[in-house]
Amino acid sequence: MLKVEDLRFAYSKNGRPVLNGASLELKQGEVGILLGKNGSGKTTLFKNILGIEKPMKGKIRFEKDNLLKMSRRQRARRIAYVPQHIHFGDLSVMDSVLMGRVSRFGLKAGMEDYVAVEKILADMGLLEFATRSAEALSGGEKQKIAIARAMAQEPKLMVFDEPTGNLDIANEQLIVKEAKRLAREKNISILASLHDLNQALEFGDKFFFMKDGVIKYAGGKEIITEDVIKDIFEVDMAVREIDGRTVILPVI
Amino acid sequence: METLQKLKKINRRNTAVIILMVLAVLLAGILCLFVGSSGMTVQEGFQALLGNGTPAHIRIIQNIRLPRVLAAIIAGAGLAIAGLIMQTTLNNTMASPSTLGVSNAAVFGANLSIIAFAGGFLSTGNNLQSFDAGANPYATSVLAFVFAVVSVLLILGLCTLRSFSPNVVVLAGMAIGSVWTAATTILQFYATDVGLSAAVVWSFGDLGRATYRTDAIMAVVVLAGFVYFMLMAWRYNALLSGEATAKTMGVHVEALRFVSLLLSSMITAVCVSFLGVIGFVGIICPHVTKRLLGHDHRVTIPVSCLSGSLLLVLADTLSRSLGSGSALPVGAITSLLGAPFFIAIIFSRKGGHK
Repeated sequence: MLKVEDLRFAYSKNGRPVLNGASLELKQGEVGILLGKNGSGKTTLFKNILGIEKPMKGKIRFEKDNLLKMSRRQRARRIAYVPQHIHFGDLSVMDSVLMGRVSRFGLKAGMEDYVAVEKILADMGLLEFATRSAEALSGGEKQKIAIARAMAQEPKLMVFDEPTGNLDIANEQLIVKEAKRLAREKNISILASLHDLNQALEFGDKFFFMKDGVIKYAGGKEIITEDVIKDIFEVDMAVREIDGRTVILPVI
Repeated sequence: METLQKLKKINRRNTAVIILMVLAVLLAGILCLFVGSSGMTVQEGFQALLGNGTPAHIRIIQNIRLPRVLAAIIAGAGLAIAGLIMQTTLNNTMASPSTLGVSNAAVFGANLSIIAFAGGFLSTGNNLQSFDAGANPYATSVLAFVFAVVSVLLILGLCTLRSFSPNVVVLAGMAIGSVWTAATTILQFYATDVGLSAAVVWSFGDLGRATYRTDAIMAVVVLAGFVYFMLMAWRYNALLSGEATAKTMGVHVEALRFVSLLLSSMITAVCVSFLGVIGFVGIICPHVTKRLLGHDHRVTIPVSCLSGSLLLVLADTLSRSLGSGSALPVGAITSLLGAPFFIAIIFSRKGGHK
């Protein structure tokens, strides 16, 4: 279980605070979706959870461990990241995914690392790409390789920063489904930021609405109401039931 | 398992490239050993290498040419990996071994020694007889090295005070480098004709300054860097995915960058202090290697090294054959030889992996 408590952060000492006491809780195997306007602090919250930035105040616990006291390597074995902008350098797909295990093998990849990566690639249908250059692949394929790399870390939590931002509809569906399948099959928690509310509804178990550096609303599907959307995004949206599914539509 | 077979094939290809490069360097080294203005035949040269033949021949081969060829191999390798590691850790394709202003600082140190303290230095043509009465031939190298190290520590110190972002390092390096250059200009303005010409000649890279002792010092530093860089190969690969992502994979990016910059600058500092400025090796060799073989540091580190050695040995051979008696500055030859090749590689679509 991930437990974030009262996180405060600014990018410079006397700068504008970006996180103003953000708190959230996510159980093992749950898919949590972070929603909010641009600049509300979503990416910064992720960076703090991932250890890319260090919070000024607050606690981050994962299971029984204090994440803030952990070395980067220890943290990397628990939490993996799928960034928004993905690049690998001119490396083969195999090497790009193998790289995810650097926190496990240290200096030199062993046979068991190759076997583990081969299994992940086979599981995700990427084996045919193994020896191709990761940099030359399409956006959707790169995204899948980034997920494979995160899987290679054997994490308990995967953090996705706007995973569908640069993808077409078909690839969007593919990535969301793949992530959800992994969460279910391997009992991995997922924390993702998304812009599309309907996609969020389809993908998530738990929702966190962020505004001005705090999590203002948190809970299951039932918390997504017209009032909450109005408060967070400052735009009028209609929440409707169509064929037994909740759908969010713009009010024209 | 089929995938692992394919990977083994790629590994075999890379091993073959490395072995071929080693052979090429050895061959070029031998060629370089037997080319020169003394009119010695290859057979006489070979005899002299083994310690037979006339004393003059033995002296030329063992005391002049051999340390020179070794210097080319060591410095070429060192400058090329220093350039590669600078490019990776600063995430900047334009980075070179002296991005932290090392060369400018070394040039200033050398100028100070030559112009202000009338220091001597070893050079092609004068390492058989004692140079300028009483002047210590190592004074210039020592002062050049001291200033290079001071400059590196200054920049790395400044950068640790604030955040350690690559762009800040590059800009700080440029700024400090220009300060050294300005100081050099002022020094040269007040120099005598003789001092000025000696100082300018020093700044042309010259492998003829190498002795077994300087070769040994350079070899120790380059080897230390090479071992560290090879051990960190996977971490450099991780760094290609971006700093933030590398951190989430467990890489201590700040420490890696600090040690990498320090080691590559030290390599550059010793090479420049002993041999003068040899440009371009540190930029073209890593780029050509990456272009042809991809970015995997397990491959690019050794291959960059070998291509650096090869380029410098060939350039030195050429500089000694073209100069009719006195060798042309090898730094000019590396650019003359390397630049057209470099441009051809950059513009060829076939060469690129992308």
